[in-house]
Amino acid sequence: MEFYFGLAQIIGIHVILGLSAYVLMLTGQLSLAQAGFFAIGAYSAGILTVLFQFHIVPALIIASLVAGLFAFLIGFPALRVRGLMLVVATIAFSEVVRLFFFNLSWRKTIDGIEAGPDSTNGFREIRFFAANGWEPYQVTLFVWLFVALVMFLIWWSDRARSGAVLRAVGEDELAAHSVGINITAVKVAAMTAGGMIAGIGGALYAHTATYVDHLTFTILLGTFAIAYPILGGLRSVFGTLLAVVLIQGVLVEGLRALGDWRNILFGVIIILTMNLKPGGLFDTQTVQALRKGLAFRDKGAPNA
Amino acid sequence: MTDFLQNCIDGVMIGSSYALLALGFTIIFGVMRRLNLSFGPTIMLGAFGGAWLYLHFNINPWLVLLACIVFTVAAGVYVERLCFNAIKRNVAITSMVSSFVIWMQLEEIAIHILPDRTSPFPPLFASLSFEAGPFYVRSEYLFMFAVAVAAVFAVERILHRTWFGLRLRAVAEDPRAAAYMGINAGRVSVYAFVLVSVLGAVAGYLILAADQQVTPFFGLWATFKGLIAMMLGGMGSLPGAIIGGLLLGVIETQSLWYFGNEYKDLAAYLVLFLMLIARPGGIMGQRLVERRRLAFRRV
Repeated sequence: MEFYFGLAQIIGIHVILGLSAYVLMLTGQLSLAQAGFFAIGAYSAGILTVLFQFHIVPALIIASLVAGLFAFLIGFPALRVRGLMLVVATIAFSEVVRLFFFNLSWRKTIDGIEAGPDSTNGFREIRFFAANGWEPYQVTLFVWLFVALVMFLIWWSDRARSGAVLRAVGEDELAAHSVGINITAVKVAAMTAGGMIAGIGGALYAHTATYVDHLTFTILLGTFAIAYPILGGLRSVFGTLLAVVLIQGVLVEGLRALGDWRNILFGVIIILTMNLKPGGLFDTQTVQALRKGLAFRDKGAPNA
Repeated sequence: MTDFLQNCIDGVMIGSSYALLALGFTIIFGVMRRLNLSFGPTIMLGAFGGAWLYLHFNINPWLVLLACIVFTVAAGVYVERLCFNAIKRNVAITSMVSSFVIWMQLEEIAIHILPDRTSPFPPLFASLSFEAGPFYVRSEYLFMFAVAVAAVFAVERILHRTWFGLRLRAVAEDPRAAAYMGINAGRVSVYAFVLVSVLGAVAGYLILAADQQVTPFFGLWATFKGLIAMMLGGMGSLPGAIIGGLLLGVIETQSLWYFGNEYKDLAAYLVLFLMLIARPGGIMGQRLVERRRLAFRRV
């Protein structure tokens, strides 16, 4: 049972990470900096709960704001580049963040134990949940509360005008510009929102894993973050959820029995999916097929 | 001052290996407008193939070089078929992500070939180091520098003096028009990958022979160094690749000397980030970016 709670927590955290990239991808920006914001969130929340004895909720909020602030600052210069150059610029940013935490050492004695980020040895003492006697199911619920919150907010803003504005910028910047949308504001807002969401994910990750080090936040994590929305499709947030469940639940955990050969098969499956369904698993075609299937059963529907 | 100059010399020496790697990225980017993140891992896989043959059959270093080229070309064509040919041109990002996914596969295969973390790698010539005045120079890196410059001229010739180069540039310019002219874009793309893989294998061989060992981390290292060097020098510019590589080498050795080892990579990434923001096209590739921006303003 412990195992399934752990898996549910990982899936929840990766959904948050994927959604942070999803918001950016709606505006047509592809960012590998999500791993960097995730790291900022993880380390700042960990430092707050361990070194300053904060409760988890304010620590999460502050971590999210810190990550959002960095994303806001990155948003302006990132406007100057687009496409693949933006990808490389964000890789550079996320590596700068990772190497900063690789060098960060901030040890303090708390309750007789020395704790805090210890450069290459990582940050080992993030034991808020264990110290306060949280059961695994409570932690899982806590994580999924935030997943639900983030998903709801994105789903809701997608149905409002803001979603249309984001998608307009993503579809055609020039057209969006000429109907009076302030592209700078939209892109920076999306970057900030993405950073805040990734910061929440990182903070939750640090506390469920109880241990973070710089190797967690490599380019691999950033690639996973953008692979989820690509695989799930940009139609709706549920695509990202589906992609995370598929990758983390089925491919990573389910193929564990294969041992060393897992990574080889994993790559082939993802690439085949990308080839066969370039718009993502949850694209318009799939949704229409689903609708048709449901409507077929519902014979009384007038427009079936 | 002598320290500073010695650092510059060391930087240029190390930088010539980065320049060789950057050439491969530049060709693929310049021609296909796509980023091949598994370039480093294909070279690593080729080197592992060569090292395996060397370890088990103790063959001549020249044959090891040949084996490296053969294996790298095979891996490169595999990547091209799976990530670049099968995915349509308008989703360049998807092929970048899938080329990254392939990376894991190639690394896994390499670990299956040689389970040891490090394997020995044979050099072509015995190492010769000499002192020029107060400065210390290693012959391997001098050779690498010469190969990098020769490679730029060779690639320049191939691109501008052969039918293959003409087809390649035509596909890069406008794939549909090229198709109307009877150019098979898929085949051109495979040939481009073969060319790049050969270059990459030679670069990888020279770098690994200077270190005399190969590890699975080489893939990551090669991709990152080549990518940074290309971005610094300029997207899609061949002389830019050389300049970017040398600049990266100098930045690394200077920051290593003045700030310490842990800040070496940090400095390199920071310079890259600032460069991309201040001059998105890199040192030599600004024209491309400017043209695009002007087009946006005009409309």
